[in-house]
Amino acid sequence: MNRPADNTLRIALSDAGISRRDFLGFCATLAAAYALPASSVIVIAAALENASRTSVIWLSFQECTGCTESLTRSHTPTIEGLILEQVSLDYHHTLQAASGEAAERAREESMRANAGKYLLVVDGSVPLGNPGYSTIAGVSNFDMLMETAKGAAAVIAVGTCAAYGGLPAAQPNPTGAVPVSQLIKDKPVINVPGCPPIPVVITGVLAHFLTFGTLPELDGRGRPTIFYGESIHDRCYRRPSYDQGKFAESFDDEGARKGWCLFKLGCKGPVTHNACATTKWNNGVSFPIQSGHGCLGCAEPDFWDMGSFYKALSMPATPVRKAVAGAAAAGVGAGVAVAFANRAKKAAAKAAHETVKVEDLTKKP
Amino acid sequence: MSASLQRGVNAFKEVIDAPVAAFFASCVHCGLCAESCLFYTETGDPQYTPIHKLEPLRRVWQQEYTLLGRLAKLVGLAKPVTDAELAAWSPLVYDSCSMCGRCSMVCPVGNDITLMIRKMREGMAAAGHAPEGLVTATQRSIQSGSPAGVKWVTVQAQIKRMQKQFGIDIPVNLENADYLVLMSSWEILNYPEYLGSVGRILDNAGATWTLSEHAYEATNSGIQIGVSDLARELVGRIVKAAEDLKVKCVISPECGHAYTALRWEGPNLMGRRFGFEVKHILEVLDDLRRSGRLKLKGSIDKPLTYHDPCQISRRGGVHQQPRALLRQIAPQFREMSDPGVMNWCCGGGGGVSANERAEPLRTIAFKRKKAQIEKLGVNTVVTSCANCRVVIEEALEHYHMNIELLGLTELVAEHLAED
Repeated sequence: MNRPADNTLRIALSDAGISRRDFLGFCATLAAAYALPASSVIVIAAALENASRTSVIWLSFQECTGCTESLTRSHTPTIEGLILEQVSLDYHHTLQAASGEAAERAREESMRANAGKYLLVVDGSVPLGNPGYSTIAGVSNFDMLMETAKGAAAVIAVGTCAAYGGLPAAQPNPTGAVPVSQLIKDKPVINVPGCPPIPVVITGVLAHFLTFGTLPELDGRGRPTIFYGESIHDRCYRRPSYDQGKFAESFDDEGARKGWCLFKLGCKGPVTHNACATTKWNNGVSFPIQSGHGCLGCAEPDFWDMGSFYKALSMPATPVRKAVAGAAAAGVGAGVAVAFANRAKKAAAKAAHETVKVEDLTKKP
Repeated sequence: MSASLQRGVNAFKEVIDAPVAAFFASCVHCGLCAESCLFYTETGDPQYTPIHKLEPLRRVWQQEYTLLGRLAKLVGLAKPVTDAELAAWSPLVYDSCSMCGRCSMVCPVGNDITLMIRKMREGMAAAGHAPEGLVTATQRSIQSGSPAGVKWVTVQAQIKRMQKQFGIDIPVNLENADYLVLMSSWEILNYPEYLGSVGRILDNAGATWTLSEHAYEATNSGIQIGVSDLARELVGRIVKAAEDLKVKCVISPECGHAYTALRWEGPNLMGRRFGFEVKHILEVLDDLRRSGRLKLKGSIDKPLTYHDPCQISRRGGVHQQPRALLRQIAPQFREMSDPGVMNWCCGGGGGVSANERAEPLRTIAFKRKKAQIEKLGVNTVVTSCANCRVVIEEALEHYHMNIELLGLTELVAEHLAED
């Protein structure tokens, strides 16, 4: 085996105290997630270990840093976090040591040195209202995105804000927030939604790029199908109780204690596509439904405006507005009017009925 | 007075109610009803698609009872129903539909197409487009009491024969009896053993029963031709006789549509509940069997099958009783394909057998039943409808098939374990 160069992930990981066994375990998880054969684990491991630095520039716009937290602030340093930070990250204003002009210079240098090859990761939405709503080093989010995206190989929109606008774009969207995909049209944009997204999903996309040099297969909403192909509901361990019609009616009733389906308590699992039910969170410890709370649907567009988190999906998300109520009333009125007209017509036909006698069964010439 | 287009269209307007409007509005034009219809499957002719048989009625609904249809009519875009059109539809409504109800079973949106055919016939008859055979049968029913012109003297003659043959006493006009026994013309003329069999079984069960001089005929041509005014009069005769005699239960004979007429349409036609129960003879037999008042002995030592009459099995719900009875006496009973509520019609129900014009088509339609019987390889078919029996017997002759046809009530009487 060739001795790896000093700046590879292998060295970085062993320096951080990650054993090769743990690393291969991570590679196996990725291979399984991508439905690759077991033999590909070694390929992934070799590719990752020997991958020279692929430059990643991470831009944070209208966001809460939760996505970065998700990736980096686990209770122990994770392989996911390490891959991102130690192998690739050239610019991330939360994580980097540099500040001020030095920090911005690091970004510009990386853009110049890796032109056309670097990955651009964005978290947070971009305000199109007043450019002053969100700036970094005096540059508006929009300008910085467009400038940095120019030389990127691909853009990864991490988190629901970057992917769909998220919380900043919630009604009435005061900053005019838009998702990245609305602004970048000339290169691939991979959406990794979730509030926050699952860490392995973020690095899974990155690892695919490092191993194969390509981006994973995406669905109609720009999400990697391997992680977002199925709904939480379809993979939920409580699904059997849904099929049997066993529902928790409140958070402390017998059904809730027995672990029955949380559909009636507002679980958005049936309409939410994410990998929570399979990969789970915090190193596979649990996920919201397992902890007794319904899914909020955070990985879906407009989840913040989908109505109360505690309203069952079968109920209307927003109160029936006046116009709709008026239209419904008009419809009912028209229906009643037509019904009365029809009733009158039928009554007239009844009144016009002449008793049919046997002599009436044929036509008289 | 005479039949006229105007009276026909007026009748269409009268019969269109909320269910009919809902059925027409919810039809998705899937065509599944075609595959369920005997007359379509045996001819492959798409004009026999059940819902298509209702086209003139559908247009009246659209033009009179829907907003868009009314607008179209207002600006002269609607095509009005014409007399020539109704004449063209007469064979579709009367010859190629036995009101067997199979299409209503398969309709994915739950439309009761058969019910609509029944209603459409009201307008067809009022417009003078009922077939001649049915008109004649209806005239005879009203005037002489029976579609075949059977008079009370004929019944009296059969009573005498049966008393002698079965050694029983046949009471007439007996008050407060448990059962009033009715017959169809076919039973009086072709299968009088039905009367003797019922008498023996009821006597043996210790039940009191009677015939009525004023109501011996159970069939109802008014239902078949589609004239409620006449159907009401015919049902009314039975209701009056039963209530005058104060019987507890009226037994509908081995006749399909008589059961529909008396049990299901009857109270609606009269607009009130009856002062007595109505049961099909098979229901009575099975009730007696379950309460231990009907015991059977011996068995038929040959393979046989049961032909479900549509109005009794599918439309009437009496399909378990004949099987319970047959299991006791026929160890070699074999089930036909599509048994019970999904049975295939003999081709002659709903007035088709009284309609000479329909005879060639009826004979073609019988090919389905022919294939079913041949596939099963039996030489004996049991049924419980005299009309099915006559239609099948004629068709067997036509196709030179050597099949024995039996009535279930007679078969039960033959295996009666007398106390």
